[in-house]
Amino acid sequence: MLQALINALALGSAYALLALGFVLIVNATRAVNFAQGDMVMAGGYVAVALAAVLPVPGVALLPGVIVLMIVLGLVFSLFAYFPLKSRPPVSVFISTIALGIIFQNTANVVFGGAPRGAPPLFSGGLLTVGGVSLSEQSAAVIVVAALLIAGQWWLFARTALGRQLRATAQDRQMAEAIGVRVNGMIAFTFGLAAALAGAAGLLLANTFFVSPTDGTNYIIKAYIAVTIGGWGSLPGAVAGALLIALFEVLYPLLPTLLPLLDRWIPATDTLFSQTMATILLYIAVLLILFFRPQGLFGEVVQRRA
Amino acid sequence: MMPVLRTGLNAPLLAGVALLVAWPFVFGSSYDLRVFTLAGIFAILVLGYQFIFGHAGALALTQGTFFGLGAYVTGLLGINLGWGFGLTLPLSVLGPLLLALLVAVPVLRLEAHYFALATLGISQVMLLIAISWESLTGGANGLPGVPGVIIFGEALPRGLPLAAFVWALVALAAFASWQITRGLLGRAFTVMRENEIAAVSIGIDIWRLRLVAFLLSAGYAGVAGALYVHTVRVISPDVLEFHVMVAVITMAVVGGRTRVAGAILGAFLLVHLPEWFRFLGQFYLIAYGAILLGMIIAAPYGLIGAAERFRAQWFPEPIPLPPLPAASTRGAETLPSGPLLEVKSLAIAFGGVHALEEVSLSIERGEIFGLIGPNGSGKTTLINCITGIYAPASGGIVFGGRDITRLAPFEIARLGVARTFQNINLVDDMTALDNVAAAYAGRRWAGISPELMRARGLDLARQQAMRLLEQLDVGPLAMQPCGGLAYGLKRRVEIARALALEPRLLLLDEPAAGLNQTEQADLAVRLRKLSERGLTLLVIEHNMPFLMPLATRMACLDYGRMIAAGSPGQIRADSRVIEAYLGAPEVA
Amino acid sequence: MPLRFVVAPVGVLILLFAPLLTPAYAAEVSVPVLVPVTGVFALEGGAQRNGALLAMRHAPKDVHVRGEVYDTAVAPDVGVQALERAISRDKPTAVVGSMIGVQLLAMLPILQEAKIPMLTTSGTARITELNNPWIFRFFPADPLAKEVHVRYVVEELKKRRIALVYQTTAYGQSGRAEIVERLKRHNLEPVMQEALEITTRDMSPTIGKIRAANPDVVMLHIHSQPTALFVRAAAQAGLGLPIVAGSAIHQPTTVSLVEPAELTGVCGETNASPISGETPEMRSFLDQYRKEFGSEPDGFAVGQYDGLMMMLGAVAKGARTPAEVQKALASSTYAGLAMTYKSDGKGNMAHSAVIICYDGKSRIPRVAKRYENVTGVLSR
Repeated sequence: MLQALINALALGSAYALLALGFVLIVNATRAVNFAQGDMVMAGGYVAVALAAVLPVPGVALLPGVIVLMIVLGLVFSLFAYFPLKSRPPVSVFISTIALGIIFQNTANVVFGGAPRGAPPLFSGGLLTVGGVSLSEQSAAVIVVAALLIAGQWWLFARTALGRQLRATAQDRQMAEAIGVRVNGMIAFTFGLAAALAGAAGLLLANTFFVSPTDGTNYIIKAYIAVTIGGWGSLPGAVAGALLIALFEVLYPLLPTLLPLLDRWIPATDTLFSQTMATILLYIAVLLILFFRPQGLFGEVVQRRA
Repeated sequence: MMPVLRTGLNAPLLAGVALLVAWPFVFGSSYDLRVFTLAGIFAILVLGYQFIFGHAGALALTQGTFFGLGAYVTGLLGINLGWGFGLTLPLSVLGPLLLALLVAVPVLRLEAHYFALATLGISQVMLLIAISWESLTGGANGLPGVPGVIIFGEALPRGLPLAAFVWALVALAAFASWQITRGLLGRAFTVMRENEIAAVSIGIDIWRLRLVAFLLSAGYAGVAGALYVHTVRVISPDVLEFHVMVAVITMAVVGGRTRVAGAILGAFLLVHLPEWFRFLGQFYLIAYGAILLGMIIAAPYGLIGAAERFRAQWFPEPIPLPPLPAASTRGAETLPSGPLLEVKSLAIAFGGVHALEEVSLSIERGEIFGLIGPNGSGKTTLINCITGIYAPASGGIVFGGRDITRLAPFEIARLGVARTFQNINLVDDMTALDNVAAAYAGRRWAGISPELMRARGLDLARQQAMRLLEQLDVGPLAMQPCGGLAYGLKRRVEIARALALEPRLLLLDEPAAGLNQTEQADLAVRLRKLSERGLTLLVIEHNMPFLMPLATRMACLDYGRMIAAGSPGQIRADSRVIEAYLGAPEVA
Repeated sequence: MPLRFVVAPVGVLILLFAPLLTPAYAAEVSVPVLVPVTGVFALEGGAQRNGALLAMRHAPKDVHVRGEVYDTAVAPDVGVQALERAISRDKPTAVVGSMIGVQLLAMLPILQEAKIPMLTTSGTARITELNNPWIFRFFPADPLAKEVHVRYVVEELKKRRIALVYQTTAYGQSGRAEIVERLKRHNLEPVMQEALEITTRDMSPTIGKIRAANPDVVMLHIHSQPTALFVRAAAQAGLGLPIVAGSAIHQPTTVSLVEPAELTGVCGETNASPISGETPEMRSFLDQYRKEFGSEPDGFAVGQYDGLMMMLGAVAKGARTPAEVQKALASSTYAGLAMTYKSDGKGNMAHSAVIICYDGKSRIPRVAKRYENVTGVLSR
């Protein structure tokens, strides 16, 4: 079942890109971007549109998608965030819902309701590793996503720009006081978040296609990943995303992985259905929160008086 | 947000009501009436959601689920058993209430986004159950044949009668909402939402209050769900889908999170807007998104919030100060003898760092006890332990002969331990008067009592609050939002709020910080006066010139240990105290 | 409101003289199109809309059709609102109805009250089981479609070990019930059943479970995007089993997502495959559809086209009011592009279906087997 594991990791790393962007915005602005899932969809369609004019493999489209998504993210922040930056965060939540509606319906008008596929990252064929054949696309998705995540980490940890971004996220007033152009940094954070989601869109749009209403499912996944990982924690978001994907893909496979289960437990079809996987995922989430109310990687916040 | 002091009817509100009454007569086609009916149903749903989301300030993602559950209860009972409205409506309310009670225990204590996620999880599980339990619910296909509303054996025809019935219920729900939140309870909600620490420090049981809000939300949602399914006449999992929840949040924010009129306006607009834009053909939902964006940017506090701000700015009304009540004639209390507060070998650590170690002290009645120590020596931690905000790892705290070590903060506050904060915890958007008046909500809390809801209760609390503000010479500022007050004035409001609890012990955390010489002298006089009237004080201070003449006894903390205790003179002369301070010179 | 007293008589006068004022058309009818053009069913709704609009353009001489399009999105309340809006604004002679079963269930009582016939391509069985004479379905109902689906698998392919994959949606659940029931008549039970969430994207768990159950055929009853995902995943995993899918596999947008080679050995049931261009009439429809909409038509488009053409034919023959149209639809027989339509007394007009198969070289399927007059209604 190596293929299933690879698929789960591929799905999880795409979720991770999305969740990472979500956390970056949370850290920089305290606001929840409900349109982050629609950004994945937008990235998918940007890839579809680019592929229509440039018939090259997906990996060659990636820089184009990233640049265009950064631009989209900047424009997005101009409408969703900056007019409301000194307002309650919930107003930003609503503005991102509104923009999500606009994105979805624009995609529906421009590209139609039918699902579309983007080109594969490389050839889209099969790899043979030690006698087992694997989908090359899935493996490539993992590698590209890992590189992007590493790139994001490098940008934040090792560059002057990253220091300014971190300073902005940590304490806006302090950052401003030491001369960081805070608004620029926040706008860039939106661009970066959109680029990460857009890259996820490109990666997913080959394997799983893209349609205008995809966003809602993705944002729910990102929200779970980010929260069980620990609100505001970047490694937590990645871990949460991988965890969800592994659960989604591997749980329904349990009876085939452990054939004994079939003999012991009647009605394995129902018990190990996708629906049950989803229900159990939420129950697991509730249990995690019950025992670790701050998420897996979150710090215990002592209430300050 | 502007305080609601004007509880009377006003012109824009009357105009709005008149518009709503006239609406179905002007737009009377069966289509217009259906949209209008749906708007009314969502208005009830949003009115309910305002309790948990607006007043309690918790992002619950269960409102759509309570709505769906109410719809399923009415739908399934109506289809399968033919039960009528009179039976199914109460059951549709009961269902969501029971679900809310069931999930409240594990999730209601979670903070912010963890709470949101937990409630989202519950919603998604309910949706999956509705889809999967095909034998009961008809699965994803749902079931047709839900009866209409039948009251007293008469079927209510759709069109105007149904619309009128739904909107009559909207009026009832709105009145109930207004009644519940206009008094002290409403102030308690505000404090809890804006500043939890402040809320528990004035004796508000935030867990109970949140539960009440959650249950109210669920009950309203049940009514809305029942009406919805009577109107649409089929029951299907669509009622449990996430988009219902998103619509409800949007309506609440666009209209105004805590205003009755906001819920109605938000629901009315958001149900009608897509219909009004249908002439745009395939672009209509893009236009809907754009207008939504425009509205939230133009009115980030909701349309009603924007209207209130506009009115406050351009048509300010002089707000009369409440009259002063007759002076309180509270008799001297008879209490068991012995020290008022005893702290016994208290210890607490954060992440391996010992914030307090083996700290013991005892405060007698009527004392002014001064506690000093360098920054980070554990002074505020000690106060937080006494008031129950931190749970000590070991040791005990006895107040008035009663062990309070494991009591919740609000319980300790109700026993008569009041406090102020180093970094002031007031609700910025509320007036000084209401900040103080809210303290009476905590004191009088005994479930949702009529007294907490009646306007009279609030009036009385305000009168008492006014007296306290006058005593502290901030009476003329009573009607100003606290956010705009100068630092020293905020401190006085905080002291007034603490006094509103009629405490036996008052804990002051650096009360002189940020005050000039005159103000400090003034504060010292006031504190001494309080002490003379029998109040016991524990004062944390760096400022020796302020504290030395004031305190009757003192102690010094350093690195979480009590290094000295005694009279001010003894403390001044103690070599360990001098060392602690010389080692880390303090700027007062 | 004195205005009303002025407007009303004038309106009545205009209505009285209207026939004299507009002599250009023998008949003017209004057929609002109530389909989802946003949301998750925008693809199917769009096809329905296009089929209906093309029929309006091909209306018989002397029949003038107005056909406003109203989006019904997904939720039942939006669908009902669209219907009410159409009724109060357009004075419809008939309406084209969404293929979302739940929406139709909510619309049916209103249709009955307003006495307006509805033409739809929904497959949901229950809509014609409610004694509502105003609903007409120009697409195989689930019992018919799944009868053909099962018969092909059992009788033609002679398969006994069946893996059944369905969706946890209205479409998926009702189709699955029909399939299981019909297999039972052949004394068969699926060796495994897998329910897919509409949000499920990764098919590898499903493929793994199918493999473990060791079936000899896979029956799919899932929507367009999952069908494409499954077919591709099965090919990539080398599942090597024949796949007989639901009607989603005939949609050109579905197969455009997969490589022709991945379609080898894939079949499916549908009402018709317009892109296969089996008859000259169908080829002409295909050309005009492509020219008009710049996309490929599917069976929903043909079904809706046929339905509306039947209705407009009745109008040309003298049916003017909704009641007359209802009567004509309920009592006559019509030879359309996809099949011959006739009501079974409940509003089920379609009684035939086809099985299409892909050869692995092209994305155009060929019709492998026709099942004509399965219900026997046509020979009544």
